[in-house]
Amino acid sequence: MEEIGVRTGPALILAGTLLLFVLVGILTRVRNLEEYWVAGRRIGPVSSGMAIASNWMSAASFLGMAGLLYLQGYFGLAYVLGWCGGYVLLLVLMAAQIRNYGKFTAPDFIGDRYYSKTARFLAAIITLVISFVYAVGQYKGIGEMFKWIFGMDYKLSIITGTIVVVSYVLLSGMMGVVRNQQVQYIVLITAFLLPLFFIAKKLGFFYFVPQVGYGAAVAQLQETQPQFVLPWGDEGIYQWIALCFTLMVGTAGLPHVIQRFYLVPNASDARKSVVWGLFFIGILYWSSPAFSAFGRILNPDGGREVADVIIINAAENAGLPEWFTGLLAAGAVSAAFSTVAGLLMAASAAFAHDLYFGLFKPTASNKERVVVARLGAVVLGFAIMVVALEPPALIGQIVAMAFAIAGCTIFPVFVLGIWWSRTTREGGIAGMLVGGLISIGALFWGDTALASWIPATSSALIGAPVAFLTIIVVSHLTPPPPKEIDGLMRQIHTGEDGAA
Amino acid sequence: MPEVNLLRPRGRYFKSIRRMIFMIVGLWAVMVFGFQILLFLVQRDPMGSSFLTDARFLGFPFHYWFTGQFSIIGFLLLCIWFNRLFDRLVDSGKDARRRQE
Repeated sequence: MEEIGVRTGPALILAGTLLLFVLVGILTRVRNLEEYWVAGRRIGPVSSGMAIASNWMSAASFLGMAGLLYLQGYFGLAYVLGWCGGYVLLLVLMAAQIRNYGKFTAPDFIGDRYYSKTARFLAAIITLVISFVYAVGQYKGIGEMFKWIFGMDYKLSIITGTIVVVSYVLLSGMMGVVRNQQVQYIVLITAFLLPLFFIAKKLGFFYFVPQVGYGAAVAQLQETQPQFVLPWGDEGIYQWIALCFTLMVGTAGLPHVIQRFYLVPNASDARKSVVWGLFFIGILYWSSPAFSAFGRILNPDGGREVADVIIINAAENAGLPEWFTGLLAAGAVSAAFSTVAGLLMAASAAFAHDLYFGLFKPTASNKERVVVARLGAVVLGFAIMVVALEPPALIGQIVAMAFAIAGCTIFPVFVLGIWWSRTTREGGIAGMLVGGLISIGALFWGDTALASWIPATSSALIGAPVAFLTIIVVSHLTPPPPKEIDGLMRQIHTGEDGAA
Repeated sequence: MPEVNLLRPRGRYFKSIRRMIFMIVGLWAVMVFGFQILLFLVQRDPMGSSFLTDARFLGFPFHYWFTGQFSIIGFLLLCIWFNRLFDRLVDSGKDARRRQE
């Protein structure tokens, strides 16, 4: 590839977008945490839905999903369904109950429900691992986009990206920037959709609704590249179901997704905001497969090299002007940035609050906590960089591994903790250990026979049921939980109308 | 508060909740996994060709449309339905208590 240098248009659009988010954040900022909660709780279910969607949209949804669909065709739809079908589980099994409980973080809930510091400590470590893996995928997205925008090689892009994103997180933290997620959603979805209309038009498909128009493109591909369209063209039915199931239970077990529900006014709004969130996410997921089908027609043999940048590649091949393609790149970087910001904050909070102070230094002052949390964010930010320099897989696959860990650990302890009052401390701890062992083990056992049944991206089809079983068996073998848990269960199940 | 156990619910509220959860999760599973199993059962070659992949809908091969596009609509409908049922449950609980008072 020839040396291109900096693409000025896209670079300016990127700078403008990030600046816009920071400015909006400063203008709408609040003075203290109390106000933040109050402000959050004033908004209705539609706005909350947008916030859920924007919280959700990362480099995996923006770049990775289209890449996997491009590479693996119908198999990629397991990612689409997995990443939105999980919201059904979240709604049915947890949303209202989590809101009724009203605490701030996933380790908080687990620590209280399982009346144990050890359980809380484990949950904090798991949260840290999930955030880490999830962030590696985001870094790869940032690296790929910086490479395209600034014309650097991948490694230099990752290093530059890390410096920018860590300073962005620290500066926003210090200036008290609150992410305005409604504005962010609208900017991101516009950046994603606009180019799609033009690609569809250039290729001669029905472009008023390219989400329907790409159907003809898929039908055309079925003739020329059947493995792209047919159900088991890339992987078999077991792999399809294992992946889809894992992503669904993982969605309902991701700490940063669950925590979003504490920010709505009441349980009824929590339920309604899931529907709106799913709708706003659906708009993106109805469109990703269109990018991949068009990308496949324009560039049938790109392979893994272009998969993670296929939306850019498709726009370029369709002859869109550079600045227009730059919209996609800027959108992808902002999606990745805000996700990394959220993850670094959650992870450094888990580190500072639950691990460092909970275990080593319970008497620390507030100021000390802030310093340790910031230091934690910096160390973590660069540690993630080291792994992202040699990315282990494609963006979507890396992020799927984080989902697998969440689905094997947090999901079972939440579901049983909410729906079975006999679940005990020992059961919860054993379940998290077993689920963690399976899902984190799956990251390391490489190309063994085990990996074909429990792949790192899809370990929860086996891992989650094993964790459930462990919790149930161990709970039966250990003394029942203390009386206080009764009150907690009452609170979880009676918020909305006092009925139970 | 009586023991909470989703599999052996006590009282009107938890019995209704169990029915709702099982129904919605059941439909969810049939729509996503049931459809893949159906594709597998009717296939005529290892890649999964069948009358479902030959048929066309809105220009799409039917199986691709059902999984890639309709299922998302299906998820939305299931969520809306669940919320309706839940609202009704909450309302009937309020009525019942009002009558008691």
